[in-house]
Amino acid sequence: MVEMTAVQMATRRAEGVPVPTDKADKLFRVRAVSTEVEARPLEATATAPTKLNPTASKRYYFYLMAPAIIILAFISLYPFFWLIIMSLQDADIGTSEWNDFANYTRLFTDSRYLDGWVLLMKYSAMCLSLQLGIGIFLAVIINNSRFEKFLVTAFLMPMMMAPAVAGLVWLFLYNGTFGWYHWLFQSLGFLGGASILASTSTAMLGIVIVDVWQWTPLITLITLAGLKRVPQDQLEANMVDGASPFRNFISVTLPNLYPVLLIAFLLRFMDNFRFIDSALVLTGGGPANSTKILPIYLFEVSFKFFKLGRGAAIALTLLVVTIILGMILVRVFDRPQVKKG
Amino acid sequence: MFYTPKNALYTRINRRKFLELGGGAASLLGAGSLGVGLNSVIMRTPVQAASSDDAKWKQYSGSKLVFMSENTPPSFAIRDKIKEFYDLTGITVEIMTDDLPVVQQKVGIDLRGGKADYVLNYVQDKPIGAPFADYYVDLSPMFGDATLPQDPEGYKDDVWFENFLTACGRYYSADKVVALPYDAAVALTFYRQDLFEQHGKDFEAEYKYRLEFTKDTTWKNVLDIATFFKKLKESGKDVPYGYAQHQGTFAWTTQLDIQRVMFAHGRWIDFPIDDKIGSKTPGKTNWGDKQSILMLQKFKDLADVSHPDNLANGTLELNSVYQSGNIAMQVQYHEFAASIEDPTKSRASGGKTGYAPCPKGEASWITNGGPAVNGCNCGIGGIGINKNASKDLQRAAYIFAIWSTSKNIQYDVLKGLGGTPTRKSVVALPDVKAARQRPTKMPNALTFDAVYDYGIKDPHFVLGPKIPEANEYHTLIASETQKLLSNSQSAEETAKSLQSQLNNLNRV
Repeated sequence: MVEMTAVQMATRRAEGVPVPTDKADKLFRVRAVSTEVEARPLEATATAPTKLNPTASKRYYFYLMAPAIIILAFISLYPFFWLIIMSLQDADIGTSEWNDFANYTRLFTDSRYLDGWVLLMKYSAMCLSLQLGIGIFLAVIINNSRFEKFLVTAFLMPMMMAPAVAGLVWLFLYNGTFGWYHWLFQSLGFLGGASILASTSTAMLGIVIVDVWQWTPLITLITLAGLKRVPQDQLEANMVDGASPFRNFISVTLPNLYPVLLIAFLLRFMDNFRFIDSALVLTGGGPANSTKILPIYLFEVSFKFFKLGRGAAIALTLLVVTIILGMILVRVFDRPQVKKG
Repeated sequence: MFYTPKNALYTRINRRKFLELGGGAASLLGAGSLGVGLNSVIMRTPVQAASSDDAKWKQYSGSKLVFMSENTPPSFAIRDKIKEFYDLTGITVEIMTDDLPVVQQKVGIDLRGGKADYVLNYVQDKPIGAPFADYYVDLSPMFGDATLPQDPEGYKDDVWFENFLTACGRYYSADKVVALPYDAAVALTFYRQDLFEQHGKDFEAEYKYRLEFTKDTTWKNVLDIATFFKKLKESGKDVPYGYAQHQGTFAWTTQLDIQRVMFAHGRWIDFPIDDKIGSKTPGKTNWGDKQSILMLQKFKDLADVSHPDNLANGTLELNSVYQSGNIAMQVQYHEFAASIEDPTKSRASGGKTGYAPCPKGEASWITNGGPAVNGCNCGIGGIGINKNASKDLQRAAYIFAIWSTSKNIQYDVLKGLGGTPTRKSVVALPDVKAARQRPTKMPNALTFDAVYDYGIKDPHFVLGPKIPEANEYHTLIASETQKLLSNSQSAEETAKSLQSQLNNLNRV
């Protein structure tokens, strides 16, 4: 029985030979089947599919997708290629002149560009770590709460607000003359005379707080969905073995949350690299460039100074680095999954 | 035509009927469009239009213009009166307003993209006029055109306040005028007379001169006053800070803030060019010279004793600080007097605030041999016409431009929302003259002595630099000055950094 596989059993059934039916055997058989099937080469186990006309089929699907592909090409690929062309030009709106790679070479000596990268990394790291920590914490609390529906609705409210509007609201809250949060922070001794956005040492924290306030609920929501899928039997088994709730969370819940957290992390990482709405409203990159993260500088160059060629070069480098960092993150964070498999 | 079940309850429409209905609807739509179109087509030639005054005003009846403007009182007031313009001309004008940086982006894209979505633009001298001057219609040929209505006062320099027409209308050449002065924001000093009187004796005992503000008050005096108030505050007395700067997120006003101090001392300017007309090739900057380093140091000294929220206070925020009674003195634009004098919004209203020209240069701080003057600067908002628009729309826009800058409209705006006139004749009206004294129903008029009779006149008036890269220039000045004020770099490092970045910007 131990060596009997699903294929062998199916063959025996087809030949009219009886196969074991008691409960223990069934369980045993299922385990044996799954192990062997996965271990075998595909050719050996898979049944050959019904043969269709592959050429005709591909063409058919292509025609079905063609309108979407054409629209996508116009709204996505065409601007993308223009971006590349513009990055090689001294481009203004309506006028352009080839300048080869001057826009790129200039970036290496542009201190605002280089500082923009450093600030962007700092900003993203602060936002991501806080959002993940707080987001997971809130999700666990909500998951165990009787008021789950109410809490989810309440926590999601900041996310419903347009980022520029959120920026304006927080600008008033931080205001040194009449801002409530300014008064609170000062009363608690966190701030001196200057408001949070008026100091080069605290302004970055000011914009991070707004991002964390607005987007932590996204992490909470995704994590909450993940928590619903954590196998209860594993949790119960671990508890039976005497694990504390914290130990249970670390050794069972967290590994099961891994795939959803990776998605949440990637989403927020890419958002942080491109969302500037609230930061632009709050500080505009100041004071003294202390919050001029690269996307704000990119906006400034493109739509304030109208240097579209320079802006395109900055945008492309930002895009390339985002993709590379995204791939690295996936590889790094995906590794434990591979090992597990 | 379409599949209908046999037991359908509705009546089937056959193909012929469907086509008939479609054709009828299309014909109706076509006829309607033609009617609307014909109504908006200019039906008269300029020659016909010249036949009477009424015909001149009405020659573009049915046209539609969009005016993109800053959210300042004149635009709101004119929007309220737009029906009068429609009744006079038959031209529909949609006035869109936004913050200046947004206006700048929108009109910039429109102008440089060869579009004319905004036929009329708010041409703020440096942020909009300097970078986009070439995209505006030269209004000179329209002045005196017999086929267009004209303002009886005309448009020469002397009908506007001194320097106004050049400030917003002339760029890189004295021959062209691309905008008419529409509103103005001229800097002057707002100070708390009540606090000055209250603490006058203590101040005099310590500094050996009277605590007052006159046209001869220098930047050194401002530093003394700010230091005095800060000491009082630190000793536990319930007093506001003495002074605050415009060093917040709005780069242009940050640049204007330091420009006043720089110019007051020896009439120092950024580039060796005619500052009022500007230049597309400004050459090497004066930043980095001895005078600039000294002035940056003095500016830093003043910041150290000013309101601690300096780096977050743009122009609007700074005015809120003053309104809330948290500073005793500010250099602010005269259009803000209306809000300062409003008792429902301000603790500095009711005769507490005095108005004086911007501080004068301190003779002992001048190293370049120039005179000490009251460096007064401004933002003069003009109304200009998009060159990409058709000739007819340009002419229709001209009619709106001369109407909106006319004496009567400016007077109404001043009375209503607290505008800032640009025509001399408005200020000459008897009730405007009377409004210069308290009690007044036109609070902005309280500033006119300091602004129109003194600050905007030469040698005190400073405008530029008008350069095509004005916006990047403002940003560089703002960020480097902020670095100085936040102790990230010294005065000398700031001056040298500006020197290298500005020369790089202008490719010299």
